Amino acid sequence: MPPDNGRFMIAAYVVLAVLYLGYTLYLLRRKT
Amino acid sequence: MTEPARVTGAVPGRSHVWLWLALALLAGVYVRALAFTPVERVQGLAQKIFYIHVPSAWAAFLAFIVVSACSVGYLVLKDQRLDLIAASSAEVGVVFTSGVLLTGPIWAKPIWGAWWTWDARLTSTLFLWFIFFGYLVMRSAVGEPGQRARYSSVLGILGAPLVVFIHVSVTLFRTTHPQPVVLKPQGPTLPGEMLTTLLLSVAVFTVFYLALTARRYALAKAELARAQALAEGDHAA
Repeated sequence: MPPDNGRFMIAAYVVLAVLYLGYTLYLLRRKT
Repeated sequence: MTEPARVTGAVPGRSHVWLWLALALLAGVYVRALAFTPVERVQGLAQKIFYIHVPSAWAAFLAFIVVSACSVGYLVLKDQRLDLIAASSAEVGVVFTSGVLLTGPIWAKPIWGAWWTWDARLTSTLFLWFIFFGYLVMRSAVGEPGQRARYSSVLGILGAPLVVFIHVSVTLFRTTHPQPVVLKPQGPTLPGEMLTTLLLSVAVFTVFYLALTARRYALAKAELARAQALAEGDHAA
């Protein structure tokens, strides 16, 4: 049986989505 | 005649289209990695962090290699566009390195039992982040464009060897960080479906890097054009 560590996987995917989506939206919304 | 972009502050070009496309592809990687890639027997679900951690590192390295290449180019050709591409790539590279430094510890906690260890690869990656974060801080602190471009180019070139060092650090030192499973002399040792997911993710992160850098460059160019238009206006007044 694989170890029960799914919450770490979810945490990593969520953290990365927030970081990359946040930066992308910042670039899209930013005006000169 | 003043261009509309200078009046409205909007960023010209189609860079936003590429960004939305890259985000859609990134969503596809999430679905493929989470739902259609087998769970590793020993590490369990935490192993799936690999599919976003490694491509983030690849994108960060690519970003800093572009910084150093454009920095060399700027020092030789004195073309301001190369300085702007280097600066754009550096900012995107810092974001990707932040992604690496955030996802690494989240994987390490369940697998190693510790969030962080001061081994060669982890420590040098942290220093890479410091160098290029310092690069961005320095750019915002130097006002004269020519001087800023020269200082940045030197720092951009000096930061690049660290990328090579990080890549070879797991073979040079006895590190806790896992050894390569794809880029090794005897070929990849990753099972087929896992390898496909990783290679797909690397390709998508490359597109994502290019889209982010293109957008950041378009912004930098528009800002420069606006600043020059304002300066010309002041001069005329």
